[in-house]
Amino acid sequence: MDPFETLGAPRRFDLDLKVLEKTHRELSRALHPDRFAQAGASERRAALERAANVNEAWRILRDPIRRAEALFRVEGIAVGEANEPKASPAFLMDVMEEREALAEARAERNLPKVRALATVIAQRARAAEERLIAGFANGSPPKDELSKLLPILGELRFYQRFLDEVEAIEEEAEEQEAARSADGVSP
Amino acid sequence: MSAGQGIGLLEIFDPKAPPKAIGIDLGTTNSIVAYVKNERPTTVKDCDQAALLPSVVHYGDSGEVVVGRNAQLRAAEHPRETIVSVKRFMGRGGDDPETRRLGPYAFVPATEGEPNVVRFDVGKKVVTPVEVSAEILRALRRLAEDELRSVGGAVITVPAYFDDAQRQATKDAGRLAGLEVLRLLNEPTAAALAYGLEKKQNGKFAVYDLGGGTFDVTILVLDDGVFQVRSTGGDSQLGGDDMDRALAEEIFRLSGRDPASATPGEVRVVLDLSRRVKHGLTDADVVDFESPFAKPNDGEPAQLSITRARFDELVQPLLGRTGTACRRALKDAGMKPEELDGVILVGGSTRVPAVRSYVAKMFGKEPLGDIDPEEVVALGAAIQADLLSGHGTTDEVLLLDVIPLSLGIEVGGGIVDRILPRNTTTPAAARATYTTQEDNQTGFEIHVVQGERELAADCRSLARFTLRGIPPMAAGMARLEVTFRVDADGLLSVHAREERTGIEQTVSVKPSYGLDDDTVEQMLLDAIDHGEEDLAARKLAEVRVEASRVVSSTKKSLVADPDLLEPGEKERIEAAIADLEKAVQGVDARRMELKIEDLDSATKAFAGRRMNRAIARAIEGQSLENVEKTVEHAKGIEAAHAESGPLPPPPPSG
Repeated sequence: MDPFETLGAPRRFDLDLKVLEKTHRELSRALHPDRFAQAGASERRAALERAANVNEAWRILRDPIRRAEALFRVEGIAVGEANEPKASPAFLMDVMEEREALAEARAERNLPKVRALATVIAQRARAAEERLIAGFANGSPPKDELSKLLPILGELRFYQRFLDEVEAIEEEAEEQEAARSADGVSP
Repeated sequence: MSAGQGIGLLEIFDPKAPPKAIGIDLGTTNSIVAYVKNERPTTVKDCDQAALLPSVVHYGDSGEVVVGRNAQLRAAEHPRETIVSVKRFMGRGGDDPETRRLGPYAFVPATEGEPNVVRFDVGKKVVTPVEVSAEILRALRRLAEDELRSVGGAVITVPAYFDDAQRQATKDAGRLAGLEVLRLLNEPTAAALAYGLEKKQNGKFAVYDLGGGTFDVTILVLDDGVFQVRSTGGDSQLGGDDMDRALAEEIFRLSGRDPASATPGEVRVVLDLSRRVKHGLTDADVVDFESPFAKPNDGEPAQLSITRARFDELVQPLLGRTGTACRRALKDAGMKPEELDGVILVGGSTRVPAVRSYVAKMFGKEPLGDIDPEEVVALGAAIQADLLSGHGTTDEVLLLDVIPLSLGIEVGGGIVDRILPRNTTTPAAARATYTTQEDNQTGFEIHVVQGERELAADCRSLARFTLRGIPPMAAGMARLEVTFRVDADGLLSVHAREERTGIEQTVSVKPSYGLDDDTVEQMLLDAIDHGEEDLAARKLAEVRVEASRVVSSTKKSLVADPDLLEPGEKERIEAAIADLEKAVQGVDARRMELKIEDLDSATKAFAGRRMNRAIARAIEGQSLENVEKTVEHAKGIEAAHAESGPLPPPPPSG
């Protein structure tokens, strides 16, 4: 399934998610199994399969990393950590340092420092996305251009994991906060 | 349908009034049945004008089965033969921790070869939660039949957080009760439907649903009749029962008794007393009552007293667990509490003042409660049943729900590979490809699990099956494609295929903790042995309904899209329709089924083309709208359309 085709979207990285969400909703209106509860089995099956595809396409396109992977996949390039070229040693070094800094900040329970680290990573993620936007701005990029763009996927995944970890740390802090205030409240 | 000829026509196929679809809230503590009457959802009341049927089933000495209030009355005297809160055992394994909690039941372990489900020893026989639930559903069906003459299918609600095994068990119970289950509907979504249609309001809502035994939180967006669930979370083992247990332990403590040494009868008495104390504390600040236990010194019952403050303290840990689930659901939806337009309270336990103030504090706003929190789910289910049976008054209503827990399969090292993450919109489908680990491996074992943990052992095991007969190849050469499909009921089926050889296998996940089809079939037959109803007659009626549904929808589609028919296709389809109509005149259900299948295959390609057109129209309508947005609202835009020909027709709404 080509998620871009399924939702009638251009093969670009910078998609208008508001428009896509509406398209998804209109397609769901037309295809959802509830609409075919009274139909024969062949129509019910056909609708169910397409409704599932539409949902899957929307799930892929609304997430930046899955959307980026789909862009490469429709160009015939295999993605996934096993298929992509290894990250450069410089990037790996850098990554390790950032992670160490985050682990330290967490150990110190230094939430402002955690957030500052997150801001830097979010900016770098944004910059990586800009490169994807430019790369896929004018239809299919040529092969050599595609192979230059491919490592961005690995970068984005790293940034995402980093930001997920930040969220987990924030959540942990919130839970502790909630537990404390619950203890304090006289019932 | 007008009088005269119309009635005559109806009588050929169905001598009764058209069956009415019903909505059922199969609750932990109470159950309700409702239907849409004069375009408004209404609950069905019993002869005492009560809508709530206590979800209690008593198995009597002489084989009689009593459901509801009369069963409740026998609970204290027959604690083991009277099953209360059976919902907590649905889809659970026989060794589930739930079976070891404070309660009066006698459990029977499964013998070798029997499905691993909970089994209650109720004296004269052993019953499973599916059978107990079916008794409740049957009582509700009869209640509805008294009012409606004929019941035509049911929407049954389930907690959003129910996993695949629990959903499947609920569906099996419906079947066993003689109901055509049109859909399993998530309880919070049902509540939102009842509220949304009432208020005609757009916005973002949280539904906080604390029932007798389950807790759900759902975040959803209401927009032009579309109810899109963004995220859901909860705990399918948390509810008012746990408040009762906490109170019961307090009563044992105050009475100087050890709950572990109490008899089943005493446990039941104390649990029932706890519920009454809990209800009393909804309005009163303190409840004084007599202990069921005599004081050791003078043999007199002790006078006990519990304040609301003490009760609030006892339930704080439970509320804290709901808070954790709410925060996660908000995060999954990418929302902050202040973005919400409203919080809807559902479930009898939300009457507890401590719950209300906890919710208000957590979400930063006073929750809505203007529809009875105990009836709202059944009312929503009735609306959905009405929509699904084609009598819907609101064509534009659509529910887009999600799966509550991630679905995946176990890969090397016992790690879970997530195939469908939680909060994926249903219906859903996704594939993953795997390869062999060893040379000459001829089988793949596929272990399907549900849950959020990294290790398969920590997740719910849904099913195991093996794809066999793969020719020997070097490791890494075979390519196994596994497809997960989740339907609108939230039920999973798994398909596995080895790409090089084309060997494939499909399993609809009949869970490890469930009853297989044969067992359900046998239970159905057993029910008939008890002189309940005629299976063959029911089957025939069901197939006839299905046949007329297929014929009428196919005829409609031929009229709607004649240009999509290929040469000769129309004739083939019409011949298949004629065959089926002829078969329906007879009494051979099997023959009708075959003719339905024939018509199905005759229309397969045509149905596919019609769906593609529906997609094209929906996308076209969209892009047209986007263009319109960018173009200024210029005058004469309609004139321009008129010149360039008619607008594309709107997508079909039926």
